[in-house]
Amino acid sequence: MLPIKNTTKRYGIVGMSLHWGMSVLILAMLAVGLYMTGLPASPLRFKLYGWHKEFGILILMLVAIRLGWRLSGVIPPLDGLPWWQKLAAHGSHLALYGFMFAMPITGWLTSSAAGFQVSFFGLFLLPDFIGPNEHWRVLLSQTHEWLGYGLIATICAHVGAALHHHFFVKDDILRRMLP
Amino acid sequence: MIKRYMSVGVLMLTLLSSSVIFAAQPQAWKIVPEQSKLTFTATQNNAPISGEFKTFTGDIHFDPAQLASSNVRIVVDMTSVDVSYKEALDALKGADWFNVKLFPQAIFKASNFTKTGDNTYQANGTLTIRDKSSPITLTFIIDEYTKTGARAHGSTMLKRAVFGVGQGEWAKTDVVKDDVEVKFTLTGSTK
Repeated sequence: MLPIKNTTKRYGIVGMSLHWGMSVLILAMLAVGLYMTGLPASPLRFKLYGWHKEFGILILMLVAIRLGWRLSGVIPPLDGLPWWQKLAAHGSHLALYGFMFAMPITGWLTSSAAGFQVSFFGLFLLPDFIGPNEHWRVLLSQTHEWLGYGLIATICAHVGAALHHHFFVKDDILRRMLP
Repeated sequence: MIKRYMSVGVLMLTLLSSSVIFAAQPQAWKIVPEQSKLTFTATQNNAPISGEFKTFTGDIHFDPAQLASSNVRIVVDMTSVDVSYKEALDALKGADWFNVKLFPQAIFKASNFTKTGDNTYQANGTLTIRDKSSPITLTFIIDEYTKTGARAHGSTMLKRAVFGVGQGEWAKTDVVKDDVEVKFTLTGSTK
């Protein structure tokens, strides 16, 4: 039976759900983000921006929960890996957490700087921490975009490493994150 | 005899001048632009988005003591519309929204005023945006009223679809809601 909490051998149900659930959300967000910015002003563009912002805030909430969960439990150690692989793994995990916080926050601020307040699925309005400001809007939206490219690169490294371990090294690194 | 004609003449003059006074329009107010504001708040993706019209002029004849003969005509320069995000501003000025090239002015006319409270009033009038006119009701509060200066603020709720604001695929009201709140602060001076 799958444990709820992580053990020293594998990830538990909560950690796995957050990992795979958020990975689907994040990949969809990256795809929608790359697509919507090229659209002409239209209701579709507006709607996609709206969804992108709402789901981005959802991801911000989930990553806060995920970080808390991660810090409060154990992480299956990367025993038997060369030191540089451990370093690369920890570094990319740290980077992924950084992106998961930085992407929604810069997106939220970009929206505020554009003068578009954000509603969370019609439930409540997000506060604007900065007012409408064209200079900041441009700077923040460019930061958001470059962080997105950085995130894509890091995801590629993360997925590539997991698949490499599974298919070539044939260890249980990936299996620890599978049911 | 001459004296009698003269006194009749004086009497007639008096009547004439008093009738001129009674027929006089209520106080004419000039809008003080730097102390007046016209803003709107629409709803996109369930969140408010605001903008303003920076330029508007008007003929205001208003006196709370002469509501029946009070009348206003406000002309809004639609090219002066402003929202914080340039892309949205370009869209607003464009053909699907205000089409400011074809319809550079919006006009509000009202001559039907009702007192609804201590300082609160209602104006029933007609608003024309683009090529569509519709009756609307403004509610407003008079904050200050002296012989030489007056200030009022108020608002109204409009349906953008009534005025054809948002054509084509924008006519759907799921992304940008139909309801738009318009708020104003008017400062008037007699000079």
